[in-house]
Amino acid sequence: MTAMSPVAIDDTVPASGRAPRSGTWRLTWQGVRTVAQLELRQRVRSTRWVVALVVWFVVVGGLTLLLSGALSSETMGSETETGPLMFGAVVYLVLGLGLLVTPTLTSTTVNGDRNAGTLATLQVTLLSPAEIALGKLAAAWLAACVFLLISVPFLVLALFRGNTPPSALLRVVVIVALLLAAVCGIGLGFSALVSRTAGSTVLTFMSVAALVLLTPTLFGLTFPSITQEEQVTVWAPPASWNYDGQPECELTTQTRDVSHTERTWWLLGINPFVVVADGAGTRPTPPPDDTGGGTADPLGSIRDGVRDLRSPDKVLDECWMYGEGTAPAAPDRHTPGPVWPWGLAANLLLGVVGFVVAVRRLTIPSRKLPRGTRVA
Amino acid sequence: MSFAVADEFLAPPPAAPPGIVVRGVSRAFGSVRALDGIDLEARAGRVTALVGPNGSGKTTLLLVLAGLLVPDAGSVRIAGHDPVTEGPAARARTGWMPDAFGTWDSLTARQVLLTFAAAYRIPPVTARLRVDELLATVHLTEFADRPASVLSRGQKQRLGLARALVHQPDVLLLDEPASGLDPRSRVDLRLLLRRLADDGCTVLVSSHVLAELEEMADDAVFISRGRTVVPTPVTTQSTWHVRALSLGALTTWLTSVGATWQPGDGSSPDGPGSVLMEVSGEAGAAALVRDAVAAGVPLTSLGPVTGSLEQAYLTLEEERR
Repeated sequence: MTAMSPVAIDDTVPASGRAPRSGTWRLTWQGVRTVAQLELRQRVRSTRWVVALVVWFVVVGGLTLLLSGALSSETMGSETETGPLMFGAVVYLVLGLGLLVTPTLTSTTVNGDRNAGTLATLQVTLLSPAEIALGKLAAAWLAACVFLLISVPFLVLALFRGNTPPSALLRVVVIVALLLAAVCGIGLGFSALVSRTAGSTVLTFMSVAALVLLTPTLFGLTFPSITQEEQVTVWAPPASWNYDGQPECELTTQTRDVSHTERTWWLLGINPFVVVADGAGTRPTPPPDDTGGGTADPLGSIRDGVRDLRSPDKVLDECWMYGEGTAPAAPDRHTPGPVWPWGLAANLLLGVVGFVVAVRRLTIPSRKLPRGTRVA
Repeated sequence: MSFAVADEFLAPPPAAPPGIVVRGVSRAFGSVRALDGIDLEARAGRVTALVGPNGSGKTTLLLVLAGLLVPDAGSVRIAGHDPVTEGPAARARTGWMPDAFGTWDSLTARQVLLTFAAAYRIPPVTARLRVDELLATVHLTEFADRPASVLSRGQKQRLGLARALVHQPDVLLLDEPASGLDPRSRVDLRLLLRRLADDGCTVLVSSHVLAELEEMADDAVFISRGRTVVPTPVTTQSTWHVRALSLGALTTWLTSVGATWQPGDGSSPDGPGSVLMEVSGEAGAAALVRDAVAAGVPLTSLGPVTGSLEQAYLTLEEERR
């Protein structure tokens, strides 16, 4: 037997006087890459992953083509008119499927490794807990981004129908990628928190479902509680108007049911679908009197709806149905600001919380063990 | 942790690495006291056996030593470093092989070791040489580029050993390293541990197979119910197996000198056979051989029925749990 070759070990002895347990948050590119590479190799080698990609491509592609066919029929109007509808539909399809697939990428990453007996051997190396967590997060996010990237051709296809600015494609891809990163972080946190993989997967899916389904439900359920009778300024036909001819609308103070959605708009604002719709930056909705109906833009409609809910009109316009002359009705009408930065930030915050939880749970030596687990 | 402990590692490290020093370490899991005041010292350059019944706290102790668990009380030094307050420094010097561990099935043996080399921040060029060397050491070179999933249990065990050695640790913690190994690999393991110890490594091995520990260990630490137990010194009288070519000649001589013996194997007085008898330690055995040979008894072998470790183990009065 030959003598072992010398090995240079980067001695990470903290300088004397440093606080104990320093190094938990130490991040090096090399460390993160080591973990991410390991995770990706683990996943990519398994054929399941390739199958998932193919299935994804076929499903998104198939649905896009079906949608394209349905929207091309004579009754739906011209291609340019259905362009935003097509784009919105494909965006939501990609986002919806992405939100379904992404939780599985991280929701078993820590407790699965712990059950397989590979986590502790990695923890005792010189990798910091933050490097292990970030490496796992990065690998999962990259995998999610691959799903997103193979959907881009279908988004481009929808773009070709016109009436959607090309910048919307870039904005949608970036925002969806960030939302998926947040979901990865949430899954990572649960996988570190819960010892059973089934439990963490369910919790991650529940979190995503809460963001997607629970928020509009809560918004609807709280709607009565934010609605009350109030004195409001109304732009309405005069009381003396006898429904004959053009009314001379005037501003009056009347009692109306007012919904203070400015208190609950954020319930919709943190919904990933709303975030994407608001952030997509599709064309401004044309005035309703423009060319009879205009184009159907689901993303734009959601954007306008949520922005209005956030800052309801100060003046109630009840004159709009009586033809022209509504424009001067809103003396202090302000353009409501975008809500997507808030929604995106809220989602990313959840992801960061998950990441921090994972780092804390991966820190060794540990004081307590997750219930029912052995360390090794 | 007191300030006295903090000051200790501000001081320059002592010239001779003390290996493993454990003082009064306790650790409870809920109401179960897994470790209840362990004292242990394992010296550099020696293989120390960690012996104890199931559930005595061997694995928990190794987890504390590997820097995975914080002890509730007591202090630990691994090559002079506290795994709790100086985790990275202690871990850089510790090689740990758990009793049950997994491998990443999709990776090849070489990739597994390269990943760990990277995780220990070994530069890639050095790592490649080191990994080749380790694969040869544990006789996995021909499996180097096959996925770890095709490896047998024993081969995975050897890969796990190579993994623990990838950063040339000063302190090696092995939890049941020989389980699943074939006889050839056990001999290799023994030789490897011997060589590592001779190179100055501190080796702590836990195992249930006492005969095997006996062959490789220089020192032994007994733990039971989470405490270090000092076994009562092995009594001078122990049972030995005495074997001769002719059972008749042996028994006749033994009876003539007035020794008490019990039948062993072999029934025909003319054929080979053996007896069991109480012998007063090695000196007594030497006297027995001398006298028997002088009396013309065709003695072939003489040895204790049980190893000294096993005898010490059996004298532990603690019960199994």
